[in-house]
Amino acid sequence: MLASVDSCVLVGLEARRVEVQADASTGSVVFNIVGLAATSVKEARERVRSAIRNSGLEFPRQRLTVNLAPAELRKEGSGLDLPMAVAVALAMMRKAAPPRSAFLGELALDGAVCHVDGVLVAARWLRRHGFERVFVPASDAREAALIDGVEVIPCADLASVIAHITGEQPIQPQPPTQPILGTETEAFEHDLIEVHGQEEARRALEVAAAGGHHLLLSGPPGAGKTMLARCLPGILPPLELSEALEVAQVRSLLGDLSSAKPLDWSRPFRAPHHGVSMAGLIGGGAGLAQPGEISRAHQGVLFLDELAEFQANVLQALRQPLEIGRVAITRSGGSVTYPARFTLVAATNPCPCGWAGDGRRACRCTPAMVDAYQRRLSGPLLDRIDLKVGVRRVPLDALASEPKGESSAPVRERVIAARRRQLDRQGCLNAQLKPARLRQMAALDAASRQTLERWAEQRSLTARGFHRAWRVARTSADLDGSEQIGERHILEALGYRLNDVAA
Amino acid sequence: MSLPDLSDLHARGRWPPPEGPRVAIVGSRRPSPYGEAVAEQLGTDLARAGVIVVSGLALGIDAAAHRGALNGGGITVAVMGTGVDVVYPAAHSRLAEEILAAGGALVSQFPDGTIPRRQNFPARNWTMASITDAVVVVEAGQGSGALITAEAALHLHKEVMAVPGSVFSPLSVGTHGLLRDGAGLVQNARDILAVIGLGGEVLDDPLLPPERLRFALRPERDGIVAHLSDVLALSAADIARKLQLPVAEVLGRLTALELDGAVRRQEAGYVRALRRGKERV
Repeated sequence: MLASVDSCVLVGLEARRVEVQADASTGSVVFNIVGLAATSVKEARERVRSAIRNSGLEFPRQRLTVNLAPAELRKEGSGLDLPMAVAVALAMMRKAAPPRSAFLGELALDGAVCHVDGVLVAARWLRRHGFERVFVPASDAREAALIDGVEVIPCADLASVIAHITGEQPIQPQPPTQPILGTETEAFEHDLIEVHGQEEARRALEVAAAGGHHLLLSGPPGAGKTMLARCLPGILPPLELSEALEVAQVRSLLGDLSSAKPLDWSRPFRAPHHGVSMAGLIGGGAGLAQPGEISRAHQGVLFLDELAEFQANVLQALRQPLEIGRVAITRSGGSVTYPARFTLVAATNPCPCGWAGDGRRACRCTPAMVDAYQRRLSGPLLDRIDLKVGVRRVPLDALASEPKGESSAPVRERVIAARRRQLDRQGCLNAQLKPARLRQMAALDAASRQTLERWAEQRSLTARGFHRAWRVARTSADLDGSEQIGERHILEALGYRLNDVAA
Repeated sequence: MSLPDLSDLHARGRWPPPEGPRVAIVGSRRPSPYGEAVAEQLGTDLARAGVIVVSGLALGIDAAAHRGALNGGGITVAVMGTGVDVVYPAAHSRLAEEILAAGGALVSQFPDGTIPRRQNFPARNWTMASITDAVVVVEAGQGSGALITAEAALHLHKEVMAVPGSVFSPLSVGTHGLLRDGAGLVQNARDILAVIGLGGEVLDDPLLPPERLRFALRPERDGIVAHLSDVLALSAADIARKLQLPVAEVLGRLTALELDGAVRRQEAGYVRALRRGKERV
């Protein structure tokens, strides 16, 4: 009496197939689970036994062995409860499992099938690997049904799953979850219309949104840095379907996906506190690493306020994801890669007291203190930020007389148009252009090149800094609706390099 | 604050210097182009009048005063808060060498090898006041170390003078406070010479206005410079608003001027440069 059922365990945003084999044979009455099961899986024994009994099925009074293959793969989590119970039941009934089907779910003692994290990730992976049908907890069915081309069977309890397999009472498959397209009336929490003055920072925000550039806002307390950063999601285009799915997958892994609205079209905005740990920001934890804030901000905005207050090693670890848009984390349980393509908005005071450059209060820091403070921001990290602008404090009494700017909507229109130009031309945003492609896609005329080279020489720009300014110029031209980069675009780009010091 | 034993000063170069009046010029380490230009000009004019210019070798006003004195072919003395073998900030090593080469001196009450310590600088300021006949403050914000030098000078019955600045600038708070309390007004080097008893004997001209660079600017860039101040930083947004131009364009034009050395960034804004960047230490 042998039965075998398919399932999978998650490894980051990928999965590994697990074959759950159940064998009932004569011998003393024992129930063993073998195949490198972690404690959470070993505990399944009691849940499986009770769930089967309480579903009106007979639990074998025999020697029962459940094997989880491949044996070298460590299995964690409660998602294997359902496949184990189904395998045992099928072995008893001498029935074969339905073909190209996989099972996923946790069992309660009464046989109810409960939520597990990462169903969306699992369903996507299973579809790609030739499975046609997935049995998932009823509560997660809408999430799984976001994936095209795979039949989703919502499982309320073990008894109805068995009844479905035997054909006694088939379960209606879950209808595909129709992504409701993002409505333009979507209200953002913050709109640029609330920002008074700050024309320079507003423009920098627009450039950052258009080209996917990282942005540093430097200014005294109360200058409105946080407000500006929070306006960024509202001027970014809504997520594309594929992007929304990537965002949803990370949330699914963390069990953070709303079942009512599994797909969200607005871009994530994450603002971790400066006390955040390495594991919290980058990802980590015991066993297999969990996604961190940078992956939660994937396709959206990561806002780091008080940049100099973050631990130095945490900031250092940001460098790789900033360059390549993903992060690879190795823990005892193995190595996983998470997506982390976000727009970084960092905010900092210009000096420890915060008042350098303020028109009304004198800064009391020594130049050495300011230097040390700036050094804590780590040159290599600053070098990866394309746009650096100073934000000045608008005194409270002058606030009302500051001119109001545009609202977010027209800015967003321009950003969308500029992004379209980039995608049509090169298939990616300007911030992601490699130097070789940059030379192709952003040829400079003699005057522009000369200006850029002059600046680079005066300020001892690194090659990286040189290319960054060039990319920003490409974006400035795209916002202008111009294919050719002019000197004015280069000059604007250089204007966002606050920290370049003349040699 | 107890007065240091002046006979016990450590020195490099010619110490004590040749007989003659000594004037200290001190002020902010992060001055505006205006303050820097004034300090440099006063240094030059005093040196030409035979005054030994004393300062602290720090960034900003101090360096401008030393530099001005050297340009005027004079002797200048740096009173340091570190050992005389520890030039602080290190970027001023060349300036220190030039001071020595021109017959000046580096002096300190601290033994060789003393590294910069916050608590040593007020004592240095007292020393500076005690070896000079007058202290001239150019741009000092609230709590500036230059005000300690002025206070020391007052206690030691030395002349205290100050250069007025813009009433909009936080760097004028300290100097204007001194003026209100009776410090001598400095509009040119002659004001100083008169107070230390040299009258107008040597120097015939009033303070020469800082020579403005005649920038070879393209006309479309020139327009903006007129709207910039040499004291107060204006942001690209301020200027864009004034000229009714898009901020992106103004930012680009300011960058072009910055490349030419005609404007300078000061914190989050721009100021008009008065001298070529290269001359600055």
